[in-house]
Amino acid sequence: MATTVPAVLGLLALVDAGFAGFRAATGRNARIRKRSYHLTAARRGFVVGAAALALVTLPIAATLVFTADPGARYDELVRAGTRMLQVLAPFAVPVAVSLPAYWLLPMRGSTFVILVGLGPFTLARPVVVIGATAWSVAGSVDWLVWAVAITAAVGVLTVEPLVHRRWYGAPV
Amino acid sequence: MANCRGTPKQAASTAPDRYSSTMAVLEISDLVAVWDPVTGERLPVHRGEVIARLREVGDERAARIVQRMPVTGEFLDPVAVDRLLVRVHTELQRLNEELHMAQRFTEILVPVLTAVRAAGSRPRIVDIGCGIGFMVRSLAASGVLGTDVELVGVDFNRALVDEATRLAEDEQLPCTFVCADAFALAEEATVYLSSGLLHHFPADRLAEFFRAQDRAGTQAFIHYDIAATRLAPFGAWLFHRARMREPLGRHDGVVSAMRAHGDDVLLSAAAHAGGMDAFLFESPKYTNPFCAAMRPVVGLRPALTGDFRRALGRRARGLVAARAKVG
Repeated sequence: MATTVPAVLGLLALVDAGFAGFRAATGRNARIRKRSYHLTAARRGFVVGAAALALVTLPIAATLVFTADPGARYDELVRAGTRMLQVLAPFAVPVAVSLPAYWLLPMRGSTFVILVGLGPFTLARPVVVIGATAWSVAGSVDWLVWAVAITAAVGVLTVEPLVHRRWYGAPV
Repeated sequence: MANCRGTPKQAASTAPDRYSSTMAVLEISDLVAVWDPVTGERLPVHRGEVIARLREVGDERAARIVQRMPVTGEFLDPVAVDRLLVRVHTELQRLNEELHMAQRFTEILVPVLTAVRAAGSRPRIVDIGCGIGFMVRSLAASGVLGTDVELVGVDFNRALVDEATRLAEDEQLPCTFVCADAFALAEEATVYLSSGLLHHFPADRLAEFFRAQDRAGTQAFIHYDIAATRLAPFGAWLFHRARMREPLGRHDGVVSAMRAHGDDVLLSAAAHAGGMDAFLFESPKYTNPFCAAMRPVVGLRPALTGDFRRALGRRARGLVAARAKVG
């Protein structure tokens, strides 16, 4: 758990950042063929997400180095991360299933996935992230847990607007 | 100054009645950009009048959106309005891509064109109210309809037509765009199509629109529009909220769903194209509504109907015919 929880959370954050980059670029390029445009946008989202992840990770490492009982505080962070996953995983799994379903299913099935899955998921995402953050810090009095959870949530939720404003403010 | 009632000129060209007093809900995009349908001349739009009109129907949110639009004197700045409409249409294209609208048209167009070619006609497809030309450009890019098909997009909005032309040239797509009345082109269409246009017409003007397509050279029409279900306004709100950024686009998306015509209204209006057989295809009444957020009215010359049904295969079961022809 000590390595699995942070690894899964980090992976989720990076994949989410890639899709946030994709979303940031959508509705700004009316060309028909835009595969490379979308890949570039996803890469930009990924890079911004990775930077945000570093902003979360480095203070954790710095704090643990100088704390009296790093093991206990790390365990507290892992417990918070586990609680965060309890909210994120039930959301992430259907999203992860919906994406290949959208790409692979025939037209009508694919439309169904968009209408009942991916569309509503996009709207629900900020609520889920805030809910996961609240649940992860609930019951913890460690300021590090609160700081890490809130910084991570802000980082996840700001990738899309940052990428959009930096690169995709106007139609191509 | 904007003309605030439908005019005989608009009626003659079957242009959507942008100011019909019978409609309870109004789309901002219909009010902020107005053209003389005969001359194509852009008409100045008085911002105060648009706001008053929106407040008259109780749409304060829409009034606030228009209030924020730039003006020159008392009139909306046409350049700013055009830029806004291009942005909204660009965002709207994403929804069309997600709903596979090009594939949906292709599914019907391929059997229609098979029947048209068998009848000896050269396929010329005209997209009415093409906006930035997503459908035409998408069909041109796919090449799935064949190299003998002429693809033309028509719209009253010069800025949208210019953007469609720019995008097509950018990707070297074999299609053209014209700023004109679709029914006043030098050459008639073999097939007329549209996407998201029908709800812009009040119900009592739909018959005229369909009748205009019952002309000698025309073999078929395919008009996709939002399926009028109880869920449609909520679905439109959800998707425009999730996918669009422009407040105007979000507003008009929901209003479009509220204005969508029911199956019976569309079928009885399409029956006014007296020389054609009219159908609804995959109406939500007969199919999963989550797979049919958009559904088309299809019209065909009777001589083509048999070939079309055969070419459509088992999907032909989704065709619902108009009960009786009119005129």
